[in-house]
Amino acid sequence: MVGLLGPNGSGKSTLFDVLGGLLTPTAGEVWFRGERVTGRPPWVIGRLGLGRTFQIPRPFAGLSVLDSVLVGVTFRRRDRYRRTADRRREAERLLVLVGLGDKCGARATELSLGQMKRLELAMALSSRPSLLFLDELASGLSPRGREDVLLFYGRLRERGLTIFAIEHAFGVLARVADRMLVLDQGQIVADGPPAAVLASARVAEAYLGEEDP
Amino acid sequence: MSGALVGCFYALMALGFSMVLGVTRAFNLAHGELVVLGGYVGYWLWAGSGLPPLLLLPVAAAAVLPLGLLWQWLLERVPEPRELNSLAVTFGLSLLLQTLMRALWQGDYRLIADPVLTASLRLGPVSLNLGRVLVAAAALLVVGLLWLGLTRTRWGRAVRATSIDAQAAALLGIDVDAAARTTFLLALGLSGATGVLFATLHYIYPAAGVELTLMAIVLTIWAGVGRLRSILVAGILLGIIEAVSAAWAGPRWRETAVALLLLGSLLARSGGLAPGMSGAGHGR
Amino acid sequence: MARWLGALAGAILLALLPVLLGFQPYALYLLASAFLWASVASAWNLLAYAGQISFGHAAFFGLGAYAGALSSLAGLSPWGAVLLGGLAGAGGAALIGLASQRLRGAYLALATLAYAEVCRGIVLNWSDVTGGGAGLIGIPALPAMAWLPAPITRGRAAGYYAALAILLAVLVLFALILRSRVGLAWAAVREEEARASVLGLRPLPWKLLAFALSGAFTGLGGALYAHLVRVVEPDLVFNRYYSILPLVMATFGGLHTLLGPAAAAVGLFLLSELVLHPIDPALNQLGYALALILGVLYWPGGLMGLLGRRRRVHP
Repeated sequence: MVGLLGPNGSGKSTLFDVLGGLLTPTAGEVWFRGERVTGRPPWVIGRLGLGRTFQIPRPFAGLSVLDSVLVGVTFRRRDRYRRTADRRREAERLLVLVGLGDKCGARATELSLGQMKRLELAMALSSRPSLLFLDELASGLSPRGREDVLLFYGRLRERGLTIFAIEHAFGVLARVADRMLVLDQGQIVADGPPAAVLASARVAEAYLGEEDP
Repeated sequence: MSGALVGCFYALMALGFSMVLGVTRAFNLAHGELVVLGGYVGYWLWAGSGLPPLLLLPVAAAAVLPLGLLWQWLLERVPEPRELNSLAVTFGLSLLLQTLMRALWQGDYRLIADPVLTASLRLGPVSLNLGRVLVAAAALLVVGLLWLGLTRTRWGRAVRATSIDAQAAALLGIDVDAAARTTFLLALGLSGATGVLFATLHYIYPAAGVELTLMAIVLTIWAGVGRLRSILVAGILLGIIEAVSAAWAGPRWRETAVALLLLGSLLARSGGLAPGMSGAGHGR
Repeated sequence: MARWLGALAGAILLALLPVLLGFQPYALYLLASAFLWASVASAWNLLAYAGQISFGHAAFFGLGAYAGALSSLAGLSPWGAVLLGGLAGAGGAALIGLASQRLRGAYLALATLAYAEVCRGIVLNWSDVTGGGAGLIGIPALPAMAWLPAPITRGRAAGYYAALAILLAVLVLFALILRSRVGLAWAAVREEEARASVLGLRPLPWKLLAFALSGAFTGLGGALYAHLVRVVEPDLVFNRYYSILPLVMATFGGLHTLLGPAAAAVGLFLLSELVLHPIDPALNQLGYALALILGVLYWPGGLMGLLGRRRRVHP
């Protein structure tokens, strides 16, 4: 699991956008699983096995929670021969996994922030990714919520997923990440195991003036 | 050459549309109809009084001006997404105006055919239609005045600031509403005056506005929103293109050619017009 | 299940309606036109459900009308000509759908508007083939079909049943789509196209499908119209007015709902024909123009956001 940190505006979410195909880079290349995916559209990269959540949740307004997850399950690859019932069951299982099992029929827009973040996670998982981009799952949540997020990180790792997570706060990631990157104004200023990164002076300098990590 | 002259007129005509879009992010699909309305006012005044058409410009402007308030009132109430919904409302408004004009004045073709305008002017080896020269001169004059107004006066700066970023402008203490109101009044007055010029160049009839609106949109796309000098250049370019294509394919195809240009410009741009606006998504 | 039974009952009732009306020609003509516009409104709604708001449906209508008229005049059976009109509408729609795939919102709407103007212009000026501004006349009426009882396919009744058939077809199709993965894809593309793409949903084929289906039914309507009225003109069938009509009807009836647009279309059409038109023909256009303006301004959420009780959602 790799963590990505950086002060506001350093370009963390933008990096996700570029890697995921939502933005085309003006320079440089993106590779995924040995394939050059620079400039390919998001659905190509998604089908190769990338899933992501959005920092500000983007649910499908008007669709039910179940349907939102059903989208990824249905369209992730070209297999059209699985029965509807199977797909719905899989979607339900995902919702149970993130703790939204009882909200299947609710409208996505009726959820609380914490619930919407869980929905984001379920949606990201619905395309059966091998690589997950998680964007600030823990921010804006209560301490209890953050604990839940940590649990999720652990559980996802257990399932064998590779995770690239953005968080604003050091503490959350330091406990689960194998490697941390720190971004400042679009440049990588640190790259290494959590302990080393945390101790780095350059990183402290980047965060100067920011809230306590 | 003649195309370039007409192009100046096109630029002037497009300004009203461009200004409204820039300051209020609202598309005025009824723009052409407003110009035609000004044309009708000018026509009836001319037919009734025999005054030289150029003097009638301010009168026509004044006649259409009040509608500016109505337009602003309506477009203020348009819910988000602003661009799409204003398009819909003004779509309805354009149909409304067309129907009204047809009911009032029937579908007959009218033209301000002042003899002065059909005379020829010799400039060296080139012979130009005096009417067009006068129209172009008037257009350039108005554009010049507008440019001065936008760059030299406080009001002008307010309008330009609002057009770049309305929220920031509001934070800076600029009265965004007043800027919008002034813009609407100015834009519609301008359209009215342009209508008189139009009526001297071209037959007017209730449905003539469609082509004008399309042209205004094309020029706004080419020039960028609210960019005065660019619109002038774009207008001249369009005028020349039009003249060339008319010579080559025949005048009947003009309206279609404009529509094609619009379609092409939209497809090529595949993006937003005003600063900060994006019409393109990333899905492919 | 109950809904399907109800729908079947409704369909049978409508099928028997002419008998009840004694096959009165004007009434049949009126209802046929009403159903025709209900089909076009529903077709527009189909495309809107997929998130694509079109301001240029007159293009598909006109293409269908002319394709139907030209083939009919060339000797094809009028029934075949109507189907051909549907194909023409589908093709024309797919074309603009493909070309404008990167456009959104107002820009897409403008592109469809421009497209309609281009189609109108081409048909207007290509006089050799299309008869130019004068249009085409003498389009044959829908003939009786020998293997059906005469009253059904004679005269105005033929038009009535044809329009009814098209309307039922588009509604049934929409209902099926709403329950299927097509409906899911359309809703996802409509709400958050980028997010759907991230999930592996390729937007383009679904958008093209929406365009093609919408264009097909609109084209069918146009071709049927050509055979009912038996005259087509570019300024008539490609008129912006015919782009506004489905827009207003669908918005009034309830965007994205199944039956809303069709019901509103029938209601508005009958209202305008029976009440407004006799007072003054211009009132028709005025009425719809006002309806559009007021509808956008005062209906919550304007054109895109009609989230009323009747809004149906993919189950």
